[in-house]
Amino acid sequence: MEQARTFSESWHRVAGQRIQLRPGVQVQRQQFRGERWFVLQNPLANQFFRIRPEAYEFVSRLSPHKTVEEVWQECLERFPDSAPGQEAVVQLLAQLYHANLLQYEIAPDAEQLFQRQRKRQQQELGMKWLNIMFMRFPLLDPDRFLVKTLPFVGWLIGPIGMLLWLIVVGMGIKTGMEHSSELLDHTQGVLAPGNLGWLYLGMIIIKTIHEFGHAYFCRKFGGEVHIMGIMLMIFTPVPFVDATASWGFRSRKQRVLVGCAGMIVELFVASIAAMVWANSAQGSILNSVMFNMMFIASVSTLLFNLNPLMRFDGYYILSDLLEIPNLNQRSTGQLLYWIERHAFGVKSVTSPAHSKREATWLATYGVSSLIYRTIVFAGIIWFISDKWLLLGMTMAAVCLFTWLVVPTYKFIKYLGSSPKLERTRSRAIAVVAVTAAVLVLLLAVIPFPYYFRASGVVQAKQWSQIITEASGEVMEVLAEPGKPVKAGQALVRLENPELVMQLAQAQATKREVEDRLRAAMQRDAAAVEPLKKRLESSMKLITRIQKEEQNLTVRARHDGIWVAPGVEDLQQRIVKRGSPLGLLVNPEQFEFSATVMQEDVDRIFKREFPYAEVRLPGDAEVTMRVEHFRVVPGEQKNLPTSALGWEGGGDIAINTRESSGRVAAEPFFAVIGQFDEPADFALLHGRTGKVRFKLESEPLLPRWLRRLGQLLQKRFHF
Amino acid sequence: MDAMVHGLMGSWKRRGERSKELLAKAAEVDKLAEKYAALTDEGLKEALLKYKEIFRRGGDGIEENLVDAMASVREAAKRCTKLNPYVEQIAGALALNDGCLTEMATGEGKTLTAGLAAVLAGWLGRPCHVITVNDYLVERDAAGMEALYRMCGLKVAPVTAKLNPQERQRAYAADVVYVTSKELLADFLRDRLRLKDLHSPERWMIRQVINPSRTADAALVLRGLHTAIVDEADSVLIDEAVTPLLISSQRANDALKQAVELAARLATRLKADVDYKVDVRYGDIDFTPEGEQRVETEAEILPPFWRGKQRREELIKQALVARELFHLGKQYIINDGKVSIVDEFTGRAMPNRSWREGLHQAIEAKEGLEMTDPAETMARMSFQRFFRLFPKLSGMTGTAWEAADEFWRIYHLPVVRIPTHRPCRRTEMPDRIFATEDEKWDAVVAEILRIREMGCPILVGTRSVRNSEHLSHKLFEAGVEHRILNATRHAEEAAIISRAGEKGEITIATNMAGRGTDIRLGPGMADRGGLHVIATERHESERVDRQLFGRAGRQGDPGWAQAFVCFEDELLRKHLRPVYRDAARSAARSKAPGNEVLSKTAWKQAQANAQKLAYKQRSNVLKYDTWLDEALSFAGQK
Repeated sequence: MEQARTFSESWHRVAGQRIQLRPGVQVQRQQFRGERWFVLQNPLANQFFRIRPEAYEFVSRLSPHKTVEEVWQECLERFPDSAPGQEAVVQLLAQLYHANLLQYEIAPDAEQLFQRQRKRQQQELGMKWLNIMFMRFPLLDPDRFLVKTLPFVGWLIGPIGMLLWLIVVGMGIKTGMEHSSELLDHTQGVLAPGNLGWLYLGMIIIKTIHEFGHAYFCRKFGGEVHIMGIMLMIFTPVPFVDATASWGFRSRKQRVLVGCAGMIVELFVASIAAMVWANSAQGSILNSVMFNMMFIASVSTLLFNLNPLMRFDGYYILSDLLEIPNLNQRSTGQLLYWIERHAFGVKSVTSPAHSKREATWLATYGVSSLIYRTIVFAGIIWFISDKWLLLGMTMAAVCLFTWLVVPTYKFIKYLGSSPKLERTRSRAIAVVAVTAAVLVLLLAVIPFPYYFRASGVVQAKQWSQIITEASGEVMEVLAEPGKPVKAGQALVRLENPELVMQLAQAQATKREVEDRLRAAMQRDAAAVEPLKKRLESSMKLITRIQKEEQNLTVRARHDGIWVAPGVEDLQQRIVKRGSPLGLLVNPEQFEFSATVMQEDVDRIFKREFPYAEVRLPGDAEVTMRVEHFRVVPGEQKNLPTSALGWEGGGDIAINTRESSGRVAAEPFFAVIGQFDEPADFALLHGRTGKVRFKLESEPLLPRWLRRLGQLLQKRFHF
Repeated sequence: MDAMVHGLMGSWKRRGERSKELLAKAAEVDKLAEKYAALTDEGLKEALLKYKEIFRRGGDGIEENLVDAMASVREAAKRCTKLNPYVEQIAGALALNDGCLTEMATGEGKTLTAGLAAVLAGWLGRPCHVITVNDYLVERDAAGMEALYRMCGLKVAPVTAKLNPQERQRAYAADVVYVTSKELLADFLRDRLRLKDLHSPERWMIRQVINPSRTADAALVLRGLHTAIVDEADSVLIDEAVTPLLISSQRANDALKQAVELAARLATRLKADVDYKVDVRYGDIDFTPEGEQRVETEAEILPPFWRGKQRREELIKQALVARELFHLGKQYIINDGKVSIVDEFTGRAMPNRSWREGLHQAIEAKEGLEMTDPAETMARMSFQRFFRLFPKLSGMTGTAWEAADEFWRIYHLPVVRIPTHRPCRRTEMPDRIFATEDEKWDAVVAEILRIREMGCPILVGTRSVRNSEHLSHKLFEAGVEHRILNATRHAEEAAIISRAGEKGEITIATNMAGRGTDIRLGPGMADRGGLHVIATERHESERVDRQLFGRAGRQGDPGWAQAFVCFEDELLRKHLRPVYRDAARSAARSKAPGNEVLSKTAWKQAQANAQKLAYKQRSNVLKYDTWLDEALSFAGQK
């Protein structure tokens, strides 16, 4: 638009000026994605400004002996094609002035300077609050200290240091591998309340070393480091230094190295810590501190520092490697550009990218960092809410405000009044409205088929556990396990010699009583009655023993398949009464018993289902219909089989305090349905599987809201 | 947030109470009328000089003596101008004195109101500028009020374009200066150029102490800025503030001339809609890919500096803009072989102004005229910023209410509505809507013939010189005698206006005969129905329409006004979606039920769109100006 104009109405304001770059401004040539740029650096304020060669041609000619007009004319003569137009020069000078890179003859308008400073301070303050998760407080200037101490550590930055680093880090990794099981053990308790203090201490030590790593590398390559302070990272104070002087380095390698410096020293220290940890007594203070340092160094490196999706070291490293400065800002710009250009039809916008490849990089980065940031912050908020509900909710509110309300407001304002959209505003509004409408339609209006899944277990409708009804020694397995048996068929024969003896004894007693009864009838009438009673009881005893003897042969109570893995092993063993021998399963009709969590069960109570589908692992491509569901009223805690719980490889949380592995952490409901047709595959009693209930179609949004509500209710008891 | 609070404050300030308070105070002034009427001329003069002294001293005395002072000035006005200011006019003057924007209906005697307020301001001893829209009004009002000022012990002077710097310096030395906003800002900027970097008062003072000779060199024209009373404030402060004022000097630039000429030649080979598309609404040209291609192949003939893609397209676009969007008789006229810009709002030619670098030359090239040297900007300032410099800004207009929000937001002026002295007797007829231009003009001619039968004077307003000539031609064919007032015939302006209210007079005028023009009815005309105003188009802003209608029915006279519009009017083409326009047109053609409502809203909508666009342009001007000042403060404020 205006910048492109060759002549400017404002030209008169600069034409007669004699301006030059401030003395001391350093100029570096840098190569970005094959293009030449010039970086102007004001060492006093550590401000940077990147300009194109054409602009540099102009800037470099500025001197107190020539007016801007003369310099411009000179440029026109020399480079008629590429020389900047007047409007571009005005813009350029304005920007340089703002970056405090210009020296000019007129005494500056002091009031304006102060106003500018106030404005900037306000902006910075605003930024600070918007960036509440990463608030920075500069404290001191470490530059002189660094210069003084550099001779002591500086030699490490170089080939010797690299060799040393490789050795130590190699040893550290080796130690870690050797003690991997202990390491794993120890890691489990890292977030235990008792360890949090040590964890924080470890973090402070390692992060201080990390920051000094940046500082020394930067200083070594000639960059000045003037700010050191404390950053409140998610309300946790950690140190930081400002090593942005490295941005002015000409060599890309050096820029990347300064970016990596923190991690380099961190890993070095972590390796030493690993070795000390492995060789110190467990439970000692040294041991704890070393372990936590190691933990922080490795985890934070992976999760934060190396990760380019948030603005930590990895971001700047990636930005240097890709040769795309201001990656984050420009990726947003790129996304906006695409929207403006293609969706809103704005013709006058230019892409922030200089090539297609760069555009792709920017866009990819933009989208993935947005997603990642959302996830990380959601995770942090969730974690904090778990401990301190109020704080978590405050943070959630702040995040919601800064990331949803403010951008939405800004976007609406932009839609309504941005001069860029002047000509295509109605189209832009229409596009946004249609998109919003489609979203609303998709999420809140159009019902989607609604399924929910639950795990469960296949059970025969008719099944029983075969239990010994008498103690005895297993003598013979009469029916072959796995084969169908008839009701009444003998399955296992036990022997109990004791019973035989008892019977003999009881019979002997009976005989004796009979004899005595006979005698008494003749002689002693008074003794008849008691003896009769005795006889009766001894006869009862005999019947009982005989019955028990019969019970020694275990029989099938109904038709079915006799399932008794391991029954053969019981041969010649004595089993107690009430011991399980196996199952008797009627294969004619199977049921599926699903464990349905509380939050889902109301939907089942409310609705009728025609059917649900069951899939069994191993036969995942085959689905089976299950019908006639009934819900067992009342909550349950005991799983039908331990295979459904975490310990058995299932996906239901179990109560870890119970050793059986069958007690669920949360109560559930059993929902039982019948397989309606003969199975295509082996329906085995006790086989676990998944059932998919098909519910009435419903739009997504109310579903998600209900989910969230349930989650919050369960988690925080709202 | 701040803006919202500020906006709320604005609506608080313009609540109805204010005007009641002012009217009550004016009534107090009215009560003193007899006291001052009893004085002899000498006695009155003495009293006036006493109040002048009180005002000059400043302080609380001003507020305490305000009512008495006003009453004395009113008596002076009665004696000098033979007009007795009404209570409403006094209230208006008090509002001006309070720094308000006073809305007084058209024809309520704003000139006198401004005069009353200017006397009070002049008494302060600080520069007082009465700003109005054109030189004709400047001279008329300054002359009309001179006797009043003299009696009040003040000197008055008009400043118009024809004065030379010495005359200007003398004129600005007067206590009350009548001037147009353009002249004033131009003089202000020229003064600043003379001051170079000494524009800030502190530096000026320091330099005066250290080195008096240097400051004396800079022969400044203005005394300074203090009070501004802006007549027709909506026109001056809003409509004309779309473009900033530039001071430029001509400088030979043969390279540019040559390039422009070549570009004009090149542009003749490009076809509309094939090589480029014209965006009427935004006054812009977009190349099609084919057009870009063609320009690239043909750009060989341009000098090397203009061969780069961006520059050559800029240059050729300019040639196309000159061809497609600038029309002879509308945006400019040709006088003595020179292109003269026609001011869109006042309809007046501005012979000494030129468009920005290159465009003026491009139009000259298009018309085949000899190319003038391009003007180079020396200084630039937007009217918005300029008027904010006045410590005491006030204004009046017949049409302020629509823009009240903007007055407050940009200038901090609360709008106060003063009721009319006598009820308005103007009949405003609903618009007559036609499908095509031809139908419209025929109907206008027929209507003129009809009214002529009644013997009433007629004023026909057109939006461009071309249209006024067109209508004149048609009337000529119909054998109707008439007069025509437009930028090319401005010499007889005063004569034409003075006769326009006579029996059977037919006057065709561009916007020149809008604001401030007082058409006095000839004898007996009031009984026949007064002046009949026919507007042949609606303007971008309803305010301008109301100004034209306001020529009829002034000061309690009867009057009649009607607008003739058609679906081919520029307003609709530029500011209404084609879909909507076509729908309204076909509804009107088929006489579908509700078509009147549809058409009415179509015009309303077009005006609303135009106003929104203009507002945006104005705020962009201000934003850019502010940005420049901040961004280039190293270069000094110029």
